[in-house]
Amino acid sequence: MEKKSMWSFQISTSSLVLIPAAVGINYLGKLFAGVLKLPLWLDAIGTMLAAMLSGPIVGALCGIINNVIYGLTIDPISFIYALTNMGIGLAVGIMAHKGWLNHIGGVIACGCVAAVVSAVISTPINVAFWGGQTGNVWGDIVYAYFIAHASPVWVASFIDEAVVDIPDKIATVLIAYGIFKGLPRSLTVLYSNDNQIEKL
Amino acid sequence: MKSLSLFVEKDTTIHRMNPISKIIYVFAAIVIPMLIGNHASALLVALLSFMLLLWAQVFRKVIPLMGFSILILFSIVVIQGMYKEGNHTPLFTLGSIVFYQEGIWFSAEICLQVLNMLEAFSLLVLTTKPPDLIESLVSKGLSPKFGYVLSSVLQIIPQMATTMETIIDAQRSRGMKMEGNLLTRIRAFFPLIGPVVMTSLISVKERTMALEVRCFTSKRKKTFLNVQQVTLQDKIFQGIMAICVAGSLLWRFVR
Amino acid sequence: MKKIIVNDLKYKYPLAQTLALKGLSFSVEAGEFIGIVGENLSGKSTLCQALVGLVPHFFKGAYGGSVVVSGIEVATSEIAELALKVGLVFQNPFTQVTGSKLTVYEEIAFGLENVGIDREEMKDQIDQALHLLDIYKFKDRNPFDLSGGQMQRMAIAGIIAMRPEILVLDEPTSQLDPQGAEEVFKAIQKLSKEGMTVIMVEHKMEKIAQYSDRVMLLHQGEIIDFDTPGKVFSRADLMGYGVNAPIFTQICKGLGAQNQTNALYPVTLDEAYAAVVKTGHE
Repeated sequence: MEKKSMWSFQISTSSLVLIPAAVGINYLGKLFAGVLKLPLWLDAIGTMLAAMLSGPIVGALCGIINNVIYGLTIDPISFIYALTNMGIGLAVGIMAHKGWLNHIGGVIACGCVAAVVSAVISTPINVAFWGGQTGNVWGDIVYAYFIAHASPVWVASFIDEAVVDIPDKIATVLIAYGIFKGLPRSLTVLYSNDNQIEKL
Repeated sequence: MKSLSLFVEKDTTIHRMNPISKIIYVFAAIVIPMLIGNHASALLVALLSFMLLLWAQVFRKVIPLMGFSILILFSIVVIQGMYKEGNHTPLFTLGSIVFYQEGIWFSAEICLQVLNMLEAFSLLVLTTKPPDLIESLVSKGLSPKFGYVLSSVLQIIPQMATTMETIIDAQRSRGMKMEGNLLTRIRAFFPLIGPVVMTSLISVKERTMALEVRCFTSKRKKTFLNVQQVTLQDKIFQGIMAICVAGSLLWRFVR
Repeated sequence: MKKIIVNDLKYKYPLAQTLALKGLSFSVEAGEFIGIVGENLSGKSTLCQALVGLVPHFFKGAYGGSVVVSGIEVATSEIAELALKVGLVFQNPFTQVTGSKLTVYEEIAFGLENVGIDREEMKDQIDQALHLLDIYKFKDRNPFDLSGGQMQRMAIAGIIAMRPEILVLDEPTSQLDPQGAEEVFKAIQKLSKEGMTVIMVEHKMEKIAQYSDRVMLLHQGEIIDFDTPGKVFSRADLMGYGVNAPIFTQICKGLGAQNQTNALYPVTLDEAYAAVVKTGHE
């Protein structure tokens, strides 16, 4: 029997209800990171977890809705980065589905890919809106360094973003994966697409 | 319990405007200066948004929202002023640091753009209740299921946030250290995020079942308890916005 | 008229080793109040889920036999259509709140909007449900600002606003304080008196004895007994199935005080009083 394609746009109720929970987990992850004064954002744990559970479409939706809601209710600037978080959800969902997450090396590679995707999507946005900076102190110092040494804006901006994203996204993937692996089957089976009703 | 919202309760024309009209304004306010591409157009639109914000009596609430960006904008002025490619006309010096005209001019452009965007978005979010915004999107064709997802995020986030204090206290009383070196603090992250994820996933399962028995997946055509108001004012406004955007597009191609 | 006909219902959850339901057969008449008792994992919740179609359509798994509610076969119908005939109220009041509505009134409209009820009719149905559950005064409050008992009554209102013929309740008061529980039981009793067919899973045996026309005793997925409260709670082997009789019954069993009328043990306060007084006189 065929596995439903990971690109199916038929989203189950379970996956839809998962989205607000994932956004909540994103939010609390960021809050806890702040309370513990960790040098990372950790604001995409929910998106990645949803992508691992439900696939790339749901992961992408978590990313978009996360930023749309933040933009509406906390910080309007978040709106424009909806595409970035969408990309992260998409990337992690695809890699999870393709089995990259079966070994620790794959998990770290997944984090790197997510970071690169995030940087690639954010850079044009950063260049268009902020002239290439990201708002992160360390990243912007790196940006200033490269600009001062006559690098093209695109390069400086990309490196600025990547320097911030790579540690953060790798940490996020590791945490999300750790949680995912520890979930009871009774919960994860609800998101599996290939369950059918057997006849007794 | 307060649901997520920046809405400021007032009774102005802008508040009463249909949310779709305001979304169109945000789009126009960002796109038109980008299309026309000079400082004057950006300044004009920013001024217009400013006046609309005053009319809606919500300008004071924009200031905290700008707070997020002030730091970034400041760093942009500094960095572009010092290091932008093509800097060669000094404007002023601070000690031994030189700030160039080109960089300052460029950063002014960025500041205007950000100001514009912030003002336009603020006009939307400060004068519109999120549930109304979502309902108007659904009435325009957004799937009601996604309308549900967007609306429920607004209340479920504060719900989850209230559990945060409880979790932190519970773990503290179990002797978990939350201060100290980096490794200690990293270790503390897991017993905090773990329970949050577990309880939310169980809630997801229960809530899904509850929604299913409330006909969430029904294939029948949906009806709505509340009606969306679309007045003549709204239609005229939306028409004017459309003309402005079309005009800017034309300007872009003609130049 | 038989509202529910269950024939050899078998079910196994995905990934499970054993059947949760091992071939249940029974029927329920219109207007009956059925109490379901049994220890944990006896299949009570699974049975509730099977009556509304969550088993098998939501959980998938392995399914056999048939369940017919109000003339509709569960196995071949969608949950959203079955929900118009049979409603299910869960244990946890919080997770039954949709989260997408800002007032109790709109919250109850949720199900009605989904099935396309006309706006004027919708308002009637909502008003009726609010009054029936005695929560009309909360109609403009935020659903999350209610107490547990109020929230559970709102959940029930949301279900009965859709005018189902059968109401199934799976431990509706387990997470409520005594006052909240009392409010909910009063509401359920009112609904039953109005003619609703009610199926209720509960651990509070006194309530089961007080309200039920018949009691079903489940154990490890099988029906051990399905009879009047008097007959079921008079059984000597109840403890073996992990179930306690109502407190009055336990006392009377200890005193050897049976009902004069039917030689069964009393299951309500009144019966117990009469039986003990009678024993005292002998």
